[in-house]
Amino acid sequence: MMEANTFWNTVLTDPLRQESWLSSVREVDRKIHAFLQIDPELGLAACKQTPTPQGKTDGIDPLQGIPFAVKDNIAVQGFKLTCGSKLLKDFLSPYSATVVQRLMERGAVPIGKTNLDEFGMGSSTQNSGFGMSYNPWNLERVPGGSSGGSAAAVAAGLVPFALGSDTGGSVRQPAAFCGVYGLKPTYGAVSRFGLVAYASSLEVIGVISRRIDTIRNVFQAMRGQDPRDHSSVAYQQAAELKGRRLTVGVPALGSISLEEEVRGAWEKTREGLKQLGVVLKAIELPSLEYLVSAYYVIACAEASANLARFDGIRYGSRAVGFTGNPEQLVRLSRSRGLGDEVKLRILLGTYVLRSGFQDQYYLRAQRIRTAIRREFVEAFSGVDLILMPVYPCAPFRCGSEGLDPFAQKLSDIFTCSANMAGLPAVSFPAALENGLPIGMQFLGPPFAEERLLRACERFAEVIPVPDCPLALRADSGGGKSPRAGR
Amino acid sequence: MGCIDSMEREELDTTAQLARLELSEEETRRFEQAVFQMLEYFSKMREFDVEGLPPTAQLKQNNTTRADRTSEQQDSASILNNAPELEDRFIVIPNVL
Repeated sequence: MMEANTFWNTVLTDPLRQESWLSSVREVDRKIHAFLQIDPELGLAACKQTPTPQGKTDGIDPLQGIPFAVKDNIAVQGFKLTCGSKLLKDFLSPYSATVVQRLMERGAVPIGKTNLDEFGMGSSTQNSGFGMSYNPWNLERVPGGSSGGSAAAVAAGLVPFALGSDTGGSVRQPAAFCGVYGLKPTYGAVSRFGLVAYASSLEVIGVISRRIDTIRNVFQAMRGQDPRDHSSVAYQQAAELKGRRLTVGVPALGSISLEEEVRGAWEKTREGLKQLGVVLKAIELPSLEYLVSAYYVIACAEASANLARFDGIRYGSRAVGFTGNPEQLVRLSRSRGLGDEVKLRILLGTYVLRSGFQDQYYLRAQRIRTAIRREFVEAFSGVDLILMPVYPCAPFRCGSEGLDPFAQKLSDIFTCSANMAGLPAVSFPAALENGLPIGMQFLGPPFAEERLLRACERFAEVIPVPDCPLALRADSGGGKSPRAGR
Repeated sequence: MGCIDSMEREELDTTAQLARLELSEEETRRFEQAVFQMLEYFSKMREFDVEGLPPTAQLKQNNTTRADRTSEQQDSASILNNAPELEDRFIVIPNVL
């Protein structure tokens, strides 16, 4: 459990400390652009409207007073909810997402909204309508995406945890790129009420932090059935392993090639696990190489439906100076307000749902989805967890020198499998190569989040979480790290 | 990339219509390439034998209902304030006819 009265529990209660922390946050954020909005006072006001549960818990709640950041596609009352889109640049959320409400009930305070690829579509945060974010480990590299702002904020020590959403890897990949932990819970374990929908059957709200105990506390606060989200379920933790040795399945990577640094980290991770006494077992996931196609067909199809509501009529930016009919107004508003990647995915999704094309694309993708789900069930009958890389390459360069959008999509191969099967997964820091973090991930059977977190804790015994040189250090009162010289 | 034949261009135009997107000539050229690159990649799925596999449309298998109860909603002002153009409590849109 986190110690009460640590820096983070009290930073917002002491005005001088808050001011010092906030000014450090703004200074660092000028370099990494993790945030789209920073406003602790607004967060505190939202908290005041949240009833805290009656009945005292023993001791101080570890989440009491903790500031946290929220990806800007998750609603926090009074804050903007831009989803990284120009179409929603002035939209103010009238309500808070269930997960945010639950965290506020525990005393945590949302202090800002983080940058993201527009509507969650992307793996770099370069698709944001408001400028990209930068990796605190190397400002010429991307922090990953789509929850790049959240991961960057946490890696830079600006907040102890941040919320993100994971549709095809969007919590785990940026966490891996930024050298921190990223948990994607089981589908349905966490309410999606208040998450702006991109792909409703794939996405889950997740949490990013440098500390496993923080993730544990946050997840425990967020999870559980919500009458406002009928895809949410009552949480029932998967069975514990009861003292026997952890068995981790390792799939053959087949034709998927890893960049040298990632291959090195992949090998070191397996070695590290063996050192810890973990049993590694080869498993088969034959559908893996077809998964990216199936994933994108489903994600784009669902996106085309979910984003149809953004028409500039009831909310959002309307095309200015227009005098035609509403239908034309909708077309223009969407065309002017939405970015290229979003348009591409809407077009693809619309196409694969067209009558005449549904069978060969959408239906086929759903059948491939059944195949991967069955393969995971089969695999988990013989192993406790599965180990996989997170991304085939290290954090890539910003701009045209980096990975092009098509290559980025193909690289979702390791992360999208958990979303297709609805399984929990966590990415963890595994190596530092040339000063860039490389992460790996564990996947688990449904509701095995605690098993995932414990595996991370054990692995941290051989490879601890690295310290980002740029980061603020909470133990130095929120000031800059003595090593930060940028 | 070679020239896109007119049939495919028509498909893209129809799709854009359905998606309520208006693409400029330049955008159409750019998106043509990207869309057809992805569709070509999707065709890889044809190699997969889907015989006997039912489709997974959603992950939750059982239906959930809630009690049919009314509850008080928050003030509508905060919702209406996001409208691009308001007149009293009405959202203004161009004439439909």
